[in-house]
Amino acid sequence: MLSYINGPQTLGTGRGFWISFAVFCLVAIAYPFFADPYDVGNFAYFLLWIFMAMGLSIMWGYTGMLSFGQTFFFGIGGYGYGVLSILMGAEYGLTFLALLLAVGTAAVAALVFGYFMIYGRVTGVFFGIMTLSMTLALAYFLGQTAGPEWAIGKARLNGFNGMLGMPPLTIPWFGGDVEILDTTLYYFVIGLLFVIYFAVRILLNSPFGYVLVAIREDPERSELLGYDIRKYQIIAFIVGSALAALSGVLYTAWGQFITPSSVGLPAAAMPIVWVAFSGRRDITATTLGTFVLLLAFQTITIYSQQWALILMGALLLATVLFVPEGFVLGLARAARWATLRRRRAPIVEAEMRSEEA
Amino acid sequence: MAAEIFSVLYQFADVFAFLILAAAGLAIIFGMMGVINMAHGEFIMCGAYVTTALVHQGMPLILAQAGGALAAGVAGIVLEITVVRSLYARPLDSLLATWAVSLIVTQGMLVLVGSSFAGGGTPEGSFQVGIYTFSTYRVILFLAALGVLAFIYVLFMKTRFGVHARATMQNASMARALGMRTNLVYALTFGLGAALAGLCGALYAPTMTLIPTMGATFIVESFVTVVVGGTNVLLGTAPAGLALAVVRTALIGWHGQIAGQIGMLLAVMVMIRILPNGFSGWLGKWARNM
Amino acid sequence: MRINGVLPGVISALALGMAMAMPAHAQEPIKVGLLEDVSGDLALMGMPKLHGAELAVEEINNSGGIMGRQIELIHLDPQGDNARYQEFARRLLSRDKVDVLIGGITSASREAVRPIIDRTDTLYIYTNQYEGGVCDASMISNGAVPEQQLSTLVPYMVEHFGKKVYVVAADYNFGHLTTEWTEKLLADAGGEVIGKEFIPLGVSQFAQTIQNIQKADPDWLMMLNVGAAQDSFFEQAMAADVHYPMASPIKVMLGFEHKRFAPPALSGLKAVANWYEELDTPEAEDFKKRWHAKYPDEPYINDMGYNAYVALYQYKMLVEKAQSTELEPIREVIATGEACVDSPEGEICIDPKSQHTSHRMRLVSVKDDHTVETLHDFGVIEPYWLGEIGCDLTKENPQTQYSPDNLPG
Repeated sequence: MLSYINGPQTLGTGRGFWISFAVFCLVAIAYPFFADPYDVGNFAYFLLWIFMAMGLSIMWGYTGMLSFGQTFFFGIGGYGYGVLSILMGAEYGLTFLALLLAVGTAAVAALVFGYFMIYGRVTGVFFGIMTLSMTLALAYFLGQTAGPEWAIGKARLNGFNGMLGMPPLTIPWFGGDVEILDTTLYYFVIGLLFVIYFAVRILLNSPFGYVLVAIREDPERSELLGYDIRKYQIIAFIVGSALAALSGVLYTAWGQFITPSSVGLPAAAMPIVWVAFSGRRDITATTLGTFVLLLAFQTITIYSQQWALILMGALLLATVLFVPEGFVLGLARAARWATLRRRRAPIVEAEMRSEEA
Repeated sequence: MAAEIFSVLYQFADVFAFLILAAAGLAIIFGMMGVINMAHGEFIMCGAYVTTALVHQGMPLILAQAGGALAAGVAGIVLEITVVRSLYARPLDSLLATWAVSLIVTQGMLVLVGSSFAGGGTPEGSFQVGIYTFSTYRVILFLAALGVLAFIYVLFMKTRFGVHARATMQNASMARALGMRTNLVYALTFGLGAALAGLCGALYAPTMTLIPTMGATFIVESFVTVVVGGTNVLLGTAPAGLALAVVRTALIGWHGQIAGQIGMLLAVMVMIRILPNGFSGWLGKWARNM
Repeated sequence: MRINGVLPGVISALALGMAMAMPAHAQEPIKVGLLEDVSGDLALMGMPKLHGAELAVEEINNSGGIMGRQIELIHLDPQGDNARYQEFARRLLSRDKVDVLIGGITSASREAVRPIIDRTDTLYIYTNQYEGGVCDASMISNGAVPEQQLSTLVPYMVEHFGKKVYVVAADYNFGHLTTEWTEKLLADAGGEVIGKEFIPLGVSQFAQTIQNIQKADPDWLMMLNVGAAQDSFFEQAMAADVHYPMASPIKVMLGFEHKRFAPPALSGLKAVANWYEELDTPEAEDFKKRWHAKYPDEPYINDMGYNAYVALYQYKMLVEKAQSTELEPIREVIATGEACVDSPEGEICIDPKSQHTSHRMRLVSVKDDHTVETLHDFGVIEPYWLGEIGCDLTKENPQTQYSPDNLPG
């Protein structure tokens, strides 16, 4: 099983990659010891969005299904966690049960909607618009739940103003519960990211992952080769959507707040922007790029006031026009090109061309 | 009774006009050319702003509206040459690029022109049927929507440009081999789509609040209509607009605006599920089986 | 000789002045964190809010600061995004360590900030009119609330225009709660709601609504539509030749619709406000002159911008009375019931029980040419509702938003 960690579906297989990966992990673990606590909490916040991006990379980058529905499942996860954790309370580690149940609910919803769409042969841009429709319908629905009739027990959905009052994730501990916030949250999310990153790599390099890529490249041929492609597509859809729900749960637990704006437009377009920017066809690129983009967008917003959105737009536009394979992959290629040129200049061109092919 | 019936028809015509006018430009840019144009709303905004600015300069409304559509068309051609041209092979990247353009344009407009723009007022007065009074201008909008549909049909089916455009979209290299100037055709077709979006903004400008993000009000409806219409724009857009307008009008009349909004989105899901290739795919099959 | 006599005097006066000024400059500035949307959909309202805060900071700093300390204004732009509000509230509180946090436009943005501010000992001032009901010791609200706007407006409309009312409201918390308020006050005044319609945010086409109104044929309309898209109602109703008297607690003073639409779309609309740019008392005239001198291009000084300006003077007053920027001493000042400032509308005070602000409310009417006239002065109205239903922040701190359908206990 572990042998699937390296394979042709994921970039970064050599010794150099794994050494830098280990260094990266060590730096990430050591980071809170020398950084401002605010930055640690802020990084934890960026990291919690990455699951949603990874999910989209699996669906879109690897399987070829462009889903506008990531925030639909993000919303189910977030609101699900909110309702469940308010009803069950934060004692005895019940918030973790709320997390699992919320993600489970989203997975079931993905199964139902996925069946509806994928087994109805909805593909391509139709798939995108259908997922967009369901996302917007959920956002409109949540937006009009302001009244007292929209409550589950004492958990009020509270319409556009957003749902409040849920506890953060809480670990029962000797001498009092520990709330997972700031630095604790940072380590929690890093750990989760580590586990899920490896799990996704294994999934993608396993025979299952090969079929996903085959479906992306040519669904008809894959089907003629005897694969029930709809089964593979629906599993990819469920996994990707559950990851979005995980982001939703973590976001809600982080800020103890969620609103319908997290579901509707323009939020629904954001995962697509992150993944496209990073290089959707590789899970490592998506992971890194999403983090970089979130950090860059926030930094730009802090320092450039009214010009922020213009600068972000220019950054994205430049990426699309000049680095078509995505920001991270482009950087990786540039780095490799620079190092290789020093060593064996003449071979590079051919190598790059073969890679493109 | 007559007043009630007319009222229902008027409501339907109003929703239909909104869907068709919002979708017409996108039907060409997205439906025909395959460019997922997230800046569609900004072409609409451009048309509305230019129209209103020209009205403030004292120009008659109808000329100002032509000016608005023209300005959006020129903006479209510029965008095609500078950005979209290099992305035809990568339709999903065109989504990202045009989204970036949309960010730049809306916020740029905010910085340059300010957060709002004084409106010009609706012309043409009103008329009465039974207990109700209706805005005459909104009937004109309905007629304009029909006019746009007819224009698209005639242009693409009956003119030389239309034949070239359809040939180019179907197989650009073949068209080029046959001596067509495909780059020009692409630029003009994109510009035409942008101009139609600008026309939508120009037509709605007198009736709406003008803010830089006003295009966002149109974007969902336009994408939904085009997609339900399917890949063949000439065949699909009108029936899609018709079907969605019926659903939406009925639901709004029955249970208010929110039912109309959510109901239309659910109807879109059901329609796509039943007709996975949109209305045009279904109509095409039906025509072949005849 | 005379020169010798004068010069030392001048020099020593200068030296004295500098010596007196020195400690003031040597002290740490007071950091004010400001969250206002100057990008995106809400920039229309956010821009005057930023300007109001900047103007107040400049004035206060020029006249010696707060207790001799200068104010350092740190503004971040959340772009109308609730998640950015969360990020930036945290940043201002933990990184910049601001002494007070001000701002937020939508109720959602305020609710996004509250869980964060409640975990700290920092004061938060919300500067918008809103649907009311937040009972939270960390927050001061200085905008008008329904009991101030509607308990004045509704009886006036019933008296002058009649009892049958049609409500057009935005389909979210503000719209629903304000509709409930309208129904309750109408019942007290002997009127009734004969039709109501909730419009999802972002809807811009109103043909059906206009017809429904004509069918119901009310005496007047209560307009609770929100946002630029929904404002299109006015233009479309006029185009359909539908002219009912209109009342609204949010039009004119907030989004200056009378400046943005061609007349006479808003003709006859009545509104009640604590501030509108057409207010012409001497204090208001003076304030407007200072504002337009600093921001000559401002299209309209709306009530939010005005509130943002007043918020800084309220904060100055609180800190100087408390001799501290800490939350607890400031709340003790509020508890005395004497936390008052002289503002351009008149003297206003912070209510100890709810930490909301009293306002001098005036009724305005939009004329055919969209000029605005003041019809009536209701005097100072207290924010009484929270206290009545049992919110008393001097005793306990529930950190909850109450509403007529969600009462304490």
